Amino acid sequence: MPKRRTALALGAGLALLVVATGLRSTVGDGRSGSSGGSALTALSTAAGRVPHPEHPAFVVGRPVRLRKHETRARFAPVTRAVTARSSPSPTAVPVADLATETPEGTTNIVLVLGEVTKPSGQQVHIRLPVLPNDRTAWVPRRALGGYGFVHTRLVVDRERFTATLFRDGRTVFRAAVGVGRAESPTPTGRFYIREELTGFGNPFYGPIAYGTSARSEVLTDWPGGGIVGVHGTNEPELIPGRISHGCIRLRNPDILRLSRLMPVGTPLTIR
Amino acid sequence: MKTKTPASTTGDRFGPCEDAVRTIAEIDVDGVLQETAATAFTGNRAAFLRRSLAAAGAGALFAAADADAVTATTKNDVAILRFDLALEYLQAGLYTEAERLGALTSKTLAWARVVGAHERAHVHAIKDLLGRKTVPSPGFNYGRVTSDEQAFIKTAVAFEDLTAALLKWQAPRLDSRSILAAVVTLHSVETRHAAWIRHIVGLKPATTAFDKPASQQKMAQLIASTHFVASKPKMSNRGQPRLTG
Repeated sequence: MPKRRTALALGAGLALLVVATGLRSTVGDGRSGSSGGSALTALSTAAGRVPHPEHPAFVVGRPVRLRKHETRARFAPVTRAVTARSSPSPTAVPVADLATETPEGTTNIVLVLGEVTKPSGQQVHIRLPVLPNDRTAWVPRRALGGYGFVHTRLVVDRERFTATLFRDGRTVFRAAVGVGRAESPTPTGRFYIREELTGFGNPFYGPIAYGTSARSEVLTDWPGGGIVGVHGTNEPELIPGRISHGCIRLRNPDILRLSRLMPVGTPLTIR
Repeated sequence: MKTKTPASTTGDRFGPCEDAVRTIAEIDVDGVLQETAATAFTGNRAAFLRRSLAAAGAGALFAAADADAVTATTKNDVAILRFDLALEYLQAGLYTEAERLGALTSKTLAWARVVGAHERAHVHAIKDLLGRKTVPSPGFNYGRVTSDEQAFIKTAVAFEDLTAALLKWQAPRLDSRSILAAVVTLHSVETRHAAWIRHIVGLKPATTAFDKPASQQKMAQLIASTHFVASKPKMSNRGQPRLTG
């Protein structure tokens, strides 16, 4: 207890000293400045001059959260030639051989539907760009590159002759289209936009053409294997209608508008 | 995972950061990081390393030529900020993909969601600061790391620990005090990320009284060892379409 009393007395003494010092410096020298007079400033000065505070070159703003209601699809490039199989097993029935490049010279991408981890490694469920249409299979994760994500979905209605693009579930584009004639119908099913082709200077395809994972079930001997595309046209007056060899044709202003909204990898539904 | 201790980088008065190497070795006891590195990248290793270093702007070597054009920053500061931006791209991409896949446990996913939002904010802030001198994001391939709980946690611990150590290394090397003041605001957040993920995985959040810095060279080596940096797919081409028409 005596020790505690001594400590209290010392504390009180120090406090008085500080107050007295402050009073002397504010009153005694006849100035009433707030900065030079206070005991705290005296202590600060005694410790040395503190540099002027520097404003940060940036202030990190709010955390950037992902959108709550974003819809997304995932795709991945084929980075090594691989055999896609019917189930997630290295010994399952082969379904198709996948190359790393498309016939048009772009990276061969596949739509990713899911994955499972097996003792042999992770296996990825993918949508295939081969006949028969609308087919899925499995490949090892190591055969694919990094995932890409898109928030768009293109729906083509063969009866109403329309193409509608959705982003996060909301319609952002709609236009009239031409689809395949009766003898070369546009296939139905679930596909994806596989590549974008530009600068080809062929008015038949308009200014931009998209290769899809859909294949013509009739024109199988077509150069490139009968890939169904989404492209412009030099005969806009024929749209809407059943006019093509299986491709989906849009008027040129429409395909240009679509190209600003639709990334490669976008899932495509044809119904 | 065996990691070679690199030669000390120029002017590194702290010497090689043994702690960072040891940390990675400790958390990668079953070689997941190494396995990722072995399987995720199919290209030429040397070319990849050059590409990743170039993308990261490692050292002033890659950024010295025209850095003077950036307002109120020296070429040294631009090089450091570019390196930080590349690292933030990589981290933001890792956590964003993990969040989108949603394959991790709820606890880890909650961490990834919060930290991912921070790293994306860091990307925006550094890009704004660099202005015209910003660098685009390279492509990334995280392999199975973003959907495998153990692999993800080990990778996250390694990156968060080393990021905090890296910022300590960079701080005394910055020319601008205002950029230093800004980087300090990132540093404390990165150390919290590191402590948090360490807590989740059962490691001690703080193991020493003082943390050692880790050089950009060290971080570049970690990035290269994961093979996360990959070439972007060629999605577009010029040439005659062979579509059915």
